[in-house]
Amino acid sequence: MKRALFTVLSVVIGVLVVGGSVALFSAGAQEPDPIAAKVVGKAKTPQGELPHAELDLSIYPNSSPAVPPPAVSDRLAQSESESQQWPFYTPSTNLELPAHSLVTIRITQYDSGGQIYNPYLAKVVGTVDGSATYDGEKKTGIDPNTVGHTFTIHQFPESTQPYLYVNIPVPMNGANAPTDANGYPKDPHVIEFSFITGEPGQYIWNCEFPCGTGYVFFGGPMQQRGWMSGTVTVV
Amino acid sequence: MSSATEVMRPEEVPQPKQYGKPGGFLRHTNIITGTVSGIVLAAIAYLVAGALRPPPSDENALALPVGLDPQFAAMYIGWTIGLLLGIGAFDGPLRWFLGHDLTHEDAEYMAGAGQGKWRYFKYTTDHKVVGKQYLVMSLVLLGVGGTLAMMIRTELGITWMEVFNPNVYNSIIGTHGMVMVIAMIIVVSGPIGNFIVPIMIGARDMAFPRLNALSFWLLFAAVPPLVSSLFLGGIRDGWSVYQPLNSQAPVGMLGYQTTIIVFAFSTGIASVNLITTIVTMRARGMTWSRVPIFVYGIIGSSVMGLIWFPMFQYSQILSWSDRVLQSNFFNPAQGGSVWLYENLFWLLGHPEVYVIVIPGTAALMELTTVFVRKPLFSYKLAIAGIFGVVGISGIVWAHHMYMTGFAPSANYPFMLSTELISIPFGFLVLVLLGTIWRGKVWTRLPMMAVYAVVWNKVVGGITGVWLSDVPVDQYMHGSMFVVAHFHFMLMGAALFSAIAAIAYWFPKMTGRYLNERIGSIGFWVAFAGFQLCFGSMFFAGLQGMPRRVLQFDNAFNLSNWLSTIGAYTIGIGTVIFLYAIITSWRGGQTAPMNPWAAQTLEWTVPNPVPLENFKVLPVVTTDPYNYGVPDPYASQVADVGDETSQKVSVS
Amino acid sequence: MSTTQNPPPPVEEPEEPTNRPPALHRATKWLERPYARRIILISGVYVIAILAVLWFAIWVLNSSGGPASGIMAEIATTMIWLTIVASPLMGFTVATLVYSLFGWGRVGGDEPPMQENPDIRTNATAVIAWITATSLLAGFLVVWGLVELAGITAGAYGTVPANKQQGFVAPINVNVTGQQWVWTFEYPDLGKIQSDVLVLPIDRPTYFNVTSNDVVHNFWAVELGIKIDANPGAITNTGVTPNKLGTFNIRCAELCGLHHAYMETKVQVVTQDEFDSWVREMGGGKTL
Repeated sequence: MKRALFTVLSVVIGVLVVGGSVALFSAGAQEPDPIAAKVVGKAKTPQGELPHAELDLSIYPNSSPAVPPPAVSDRLAQSESESQQWPFYTPSTNLELPAHSLVTIRITQYDSGGQIYNPYLAKVVGTVDGSATYDGEKKTGIDPNTVGHTFTIHQFPESTQPYLYVNIPVPMNGANAPTDANGYPKDPHVIEFSFITGEPGQYIWNCEFPCGTGYVFFGGPMQQRGWMSGTVTVV
Repeated sequence: MSSATEVMRPEEVPQPKQYGKPGGFLRHTNIITGTVSGIVLAAIAYLVAGALRPPPSDENALALPVGLDPQFAAMYIGWTIGLLLGIGAFDGPLRWFLGHDLTHEDAEYMAGAGQGKWRYFKYTTDHKVVGKQYLVMSLVLLGVGGTLAMMIRTELGITWMEVFNPNVYNSIIGTHGMVMVIAMIIVVSGPIGNFIVPIMIGARDMAFPRLNALSFWLLFAAVPPLVSSLFLGGIRDGWSVYQPLNSQAPVGMLGYQTTIIVFAFSTGIASVNLITTIVTMRARGMTWSRVPIFVYGIIGSSVMGLIWFPMFQYSQILSWSDRVLQSNFFNPAQGGSVWLYENLFWLLGHPEVYVIVIPGTAALMELTTVFVRKPLFSYKLAIAGIFGVVGISGIVWAHHMYMTGFAPSANYPFMLSTELISIPFGFLVLVLLGTIWRGKVWTRLPMMAVYAVVWNKVVGGITGVWLSDVPVDQYMHGSMFVVAHFHFMLMGAALFSAIAAIAYWFPKMTGRYLNERIGSIGFWVAFAGFQLCFGSMFFAGLQGMPRRVLQFDNAFNLSNWLSTIGAYTIGIGTVIFLYAIITSWRGGQTAPMNPWAAQTLEWTVPNPVPLENFKVLPVVTTDPYNYGVPDPYASQVADVGDETSQKVSVS
Repeated sequence: MSTTQNPPPPVEEPEEPTNRPPALHRATKWLERPYARRIILISGVYVIAILAVLWFAIWVLNSSGGPASGIMAEIATTMIWLTIVASPLMGFTVATLVYSLFGWGRVGGDEPPMQENPDIRTNATAVIAWITATSLLAGFLVVWGLVELAGITAGAYGTVPANKQQGFVAPINVNVTGQQWVWTFEYPDLGKIQSDVLVLPIDRPTYFNVTSNDVVHNFWAVELGIKIDANPGAITNTGVTPNKLGTFNIRCAELCGLHHAYMETKVQVVTQDEFDSWVREMGGGKTL
């Protein structure tokens, strides 16, 4: 009887060890709180009249007193001094979009850039009319040599939800652009694009421009949620 | 030169001078001084490297990509050297250098004479102490790896959300893989190989007792870097850490590389020691045809480890250099090759499977004879099987690389060698079956494990037949099917045989019986969970689920839920078994000298085994398999001319 | 002490004079032993069980819409034949284990049992039979595998006709680029059009040039049954002729970093007309 009791007790201890480790490691990398796109009215689209939602994002080349780094508590991250030089999307990388809606995202880009490996990712893909507005000008793509970042939504491994692929190249700011007190360009690029969401589902987005550290500049912020990648939840 | 041949009586042999108390410096070292000195030296190395590191600036462009790697590399080197310094590993060479040779009293102190329980926490050379240290270490590693496995299954069972951030998940699978591989490599060769093999061959200790201690403490030094990497960015690239993904990972990757480099030294030293011991220190009369088959298994495994582990070590030294010294061995943009890494890795990566499986299988053959009370069936075929596997193991590695495209034409010869290795491996199955054949079985826990293991080998065998075929592997490679298959071999066959081996030699190692009721409950619960967990994983793979993913199509949900239930069942069973081991070790029923009535030499020494094992070294006159009675069928078979059955030994 | 007894020695019957060869005679004699027949019976049951599981496995293999190519059908055929050939040995192994527990008996207890089992050191017949059987099995696997691999390679690389009616058709070239964590497909002969979804015409051989921009990926078109690593700094090749219309999966099968689990896309197998209009829509030039 005593033996049986202790056997059960050791199983309980085992469960506690596993549960504690799960809790420790799942809390070990907090991602930024999600932001939801605001519904601002209705819009006419090729698919009829749909609710229209809007979302603003900004890209900064590094954090500074004026722009705090993303609220990521990643215990697996590099040291803080190094991550201050990492570019990031703000205010959040976890986006919530309404289903069956026209979603307009505005990206304000403060970072520099260079050449992208894959010219296909310098083209606009997946938006309503295949184009995006760059500082007020409609374009279907940009020069692959002057890319700053990309905003690329791609598939979640779930065959029952609708396929969604959106790629928006974000142009770079010139190295000689006038800067403000914090070193950010005074006159950042603003990119606006719209796409239509379908049924609710889960998607992933990340930047496809090599803007991180390490081998082919895909380490550091590229390998960590909250900086240059995140989730898109269509609800 | 005449004095060299002069026969001296033992007391006339000149003894070196005794400096201070026996043991000298080693009187003051133990695990605590070792750990403290390791941590101190690691901290110093980290700070010095940080001070030497050029500050990142626009002028010094080279300084930036280096990042924190040199600092952490220095830290890990500091830890390893500091631990060995603090534990006293360099004491012997230093004294030899100073001319203070070890006296007999020094050697006895180092073997742990008169030190009570503390000898388990010191640089002790007694092979029995080292064996127990290995046993505890492998159980701890299995516990860590098992906890990580539960975390993986938790993530995959909760199909509707990410429990872990993706790179935390990737770190967990990488660490699970490597921790388990290390645990499995040592789990039989470490405890049983060190504790039992010298007694089994009638020796007083290993050939190189201090190297024996060194091999364990190198392992002890290797483990913390691996676990620490979980908190320094993790091993995000699976246990194989393919290049160049490796170069994008945070500094935790250095922990992995340090671990492999140090562990390879540990394995090499242990292998040399075991091989030398077995070749040179067998008891008088123990010819090669009277050596217990388990000893052959240990030789085979050690030979493979000795030959192939350096390949893995090179791959990690080169990777380490790519990270820390900015070399470009594996950077394709600078002329490096990712295929070079893959080849070096799998040159150990596959023989390692046999390093793990062969000692376990040999242990099963050894204990089957005892529990069926029949001689080993076709002893020579068993030896041929072991060395056949050892021989072919070196030329099958590229079947892990069928789909890498590094040499499409090489797929033909590697498919050939992979399928041929099943022939010597089949010998070992026949030996087991033949030993069981027509015997009335004594159904104790170690014997029942044989049934579990052979069942798992059959499942792993059929699925292995599929995977060895290139076109089928074209579908299966990199899918959950592969994961399920190698868990059937590494866990279902190897870990379950390790459990059998530990249960069988437990009375000799601890002087107590393993509690068989609780142990059996744990064992069979784990076995049932194992079938469910990895059986259903095959079907996830067949459906097309890639491995190392944390989110997947809903179509794979059912098999993953079943797998997770199975995994939790394994977890419960393992904890129960662990409980049986711990309680039996502390307060189990005391065992007699030879509880199984076995005939190998380790059962002829009393419990607890005294220092230097034998008062008088034994002389061996026969092989240890003299069980059984004359075959009642023999006369009938002899009538129709089967000569081999006439060899009936009288016992 | 022990209540168990030695098995009664078999009843000796006078040998009938016979002209049969000794080996066959010995085999029949062996088969007269009751345990031999029962083990063979259990083996048979186990083989049937294996075949049932195999049938289920093949059903699961194709449950996501395949086989969508000759290669995938060939893979399923191979799995069936390899299992059928390997299962008798596996069945015999399992049957021996089962019979040893329930047929030859078992004893429990804490005391080592009496030595009452036959002292069989070896048996040349059994050893030779086993080695012959496993060698034949391995030989079959090797021959089957080599022949089939050569056939599949030839088919994949467009050196055998895609189908018998059409004969040889010029393959479509597709450049596949893996990059953390998206796939890009380029049709170099069709005006270099690029896409994030792979679109292929049915019954046309397709030749893939696979490479990577960063780390090692693995291009796995699941229902088409093809897979090849995408390596940085090198181009690897594979090919397939899809023979079923529909939308299938492409997954990355080599751990490639943060979003490895999400590196997926689709392959759409369409008719030649649909394919041509898709190419025009994408701005592609000449169609073959």
